[in-house]
Amino acid sequence: MATSSHLLLPQALHMIPRIPSKNLGVSSLIPSVNSRISLSRVSLNHSSSNVGFAIGSRKRREFIAKAEESSTVGEDTEAVPEDVAETVEDNEVEEAKTPWKPRTKLGDVMGILNQKAIEVSEKVRPVPEIRTGDIVEIKLEVPENRRRLSIYKGIVMSRQNAGIHTTIRIRRIIAGIGVEIVFPLYSPNIKEIKVVSHRKVRRARLYYLRDKLPRLSTFK
Amino acid sequence: MAAALASRLTKGRSLLGGLTNAFSGLVSSSSGSILSQQQQRTFIQMGTRLKVVDNSGAKEVMCIQSLRGKKGARLGDIVICSVKESATKVDVKKGKDAIQKGKVKKGSVVYGVVVRAAMQKGRVDGSQVRFDDNAVVILGIKEKKTDEKGKEKKQNYKGGFNQPLGTRVFGPVPHEMRLKKQLKILSLAQHLV
Repeated sequence: MATSSHLLLPQALHMIPRIPSKNLGVSSLIPSVNSRISLSRVSLNHSSSNVGFAIGSRKRREFIAKAEESSTVGEDTEAVPEDVAETVEDNEVEEAKTPWKPRTKLGDVMGILNQKAIEVSEKVRPVPEIRTGDIVEIKLEVPENRRRLSIYKGIVMSRQNAGIHTTIRIRRIIAGIGVEIVFPLYSPNIKEIKVVSHRKVRRARLYYLRDKLPRLSTFK
Repeated sequence: MAAALASRLTKGRSLLGGLTNAFSGLVSSSSGSILSQQQQRTFIQMGTRLKVVDNSGAKEVMCIQSLRGKKGARLGDIVICSVKESATKVDVKKGKDAIQKGKVKKGSVVYGVVVRAAMQKGRVDGSQVRFDDNAVVILGIKEKKTDEKGKEKKQNYKGGFNQPLGTRVFGPVPHEMRLKKQLKILSLAQHLV
């Protein structure tokens, strides 16, 4: 117990200067260190508990209760926490003075990345409003067939929204056989999307077309 | 009927071309009730009935071995099939549609390449393609010689099956044939997907 506490504190000291520079929103990444630091602050206020106990322990919040156990160890380490307290308080004061920038929360990161990617793609080629039931014509550049653009026409069976990988599913009867192709809307290979017409549908996904007559999926 | 209903498994909507992020995860979880009604199409394996779309003489074959993949064959793979149904004598004998005389009979074992599969095949650009049926183009007949069977089989497969047995291919053919070096089939195709 004694050795572990001595080992922990140097680590804690090493970590403290980093905390104020980082956004607190990212604190969840380093829960172990952060909780220990926060505990150390609280412990300094109480001045009767210590920071050091097993790293693997999950009951960090209950350190106050365990303070009595390691009261003997606390004597050795109390001198060091005082130094820690000063540095921590100084950093806190500095933080309060600088203007508080809006933090990007972890959960928003993917959304922001997707939006940026979509913006970039929209600059090159704007994507029209496509909904289920539209009959669209897509001009696709196939790397294997570089001479001409392949044209795919058909009814939009479904639209899956997934940021940059938003896809639409086109169905058409080609040469007697039903073919369904999933296209990523923001793909650079797609050179043109045009909505030719619209069919009234009362569904978001038209999977029933697979069981219906081919006539309903034929588009000249 | 009960079996058909039972076969309607939940299709994992995470097959969005390999790009699964938080949004796609949300999409798949929220539309759970719709997903459970979709059919999940799987590989072409032993026992699968396939349509023959060339004029080699066979009409329907049954897959007895997939030459690629542990779980089964996909679009573009080669399979070994047994002919279950072949064209009768009454069928077209002359002209462009002519069936190659006596080439493939019922019961013979043939090699075929899958040109249409009900299971979706992902492409490098993130798109997926799937057809409404399973179809195969016959490439060659497997010799039944007992002595040279091992040798014959190795020779055949080494050379690679590039030439279809028939002279015409019906229906749409995907671009995957180019990757599988089935250029003759591509040139014979009515429509390229």
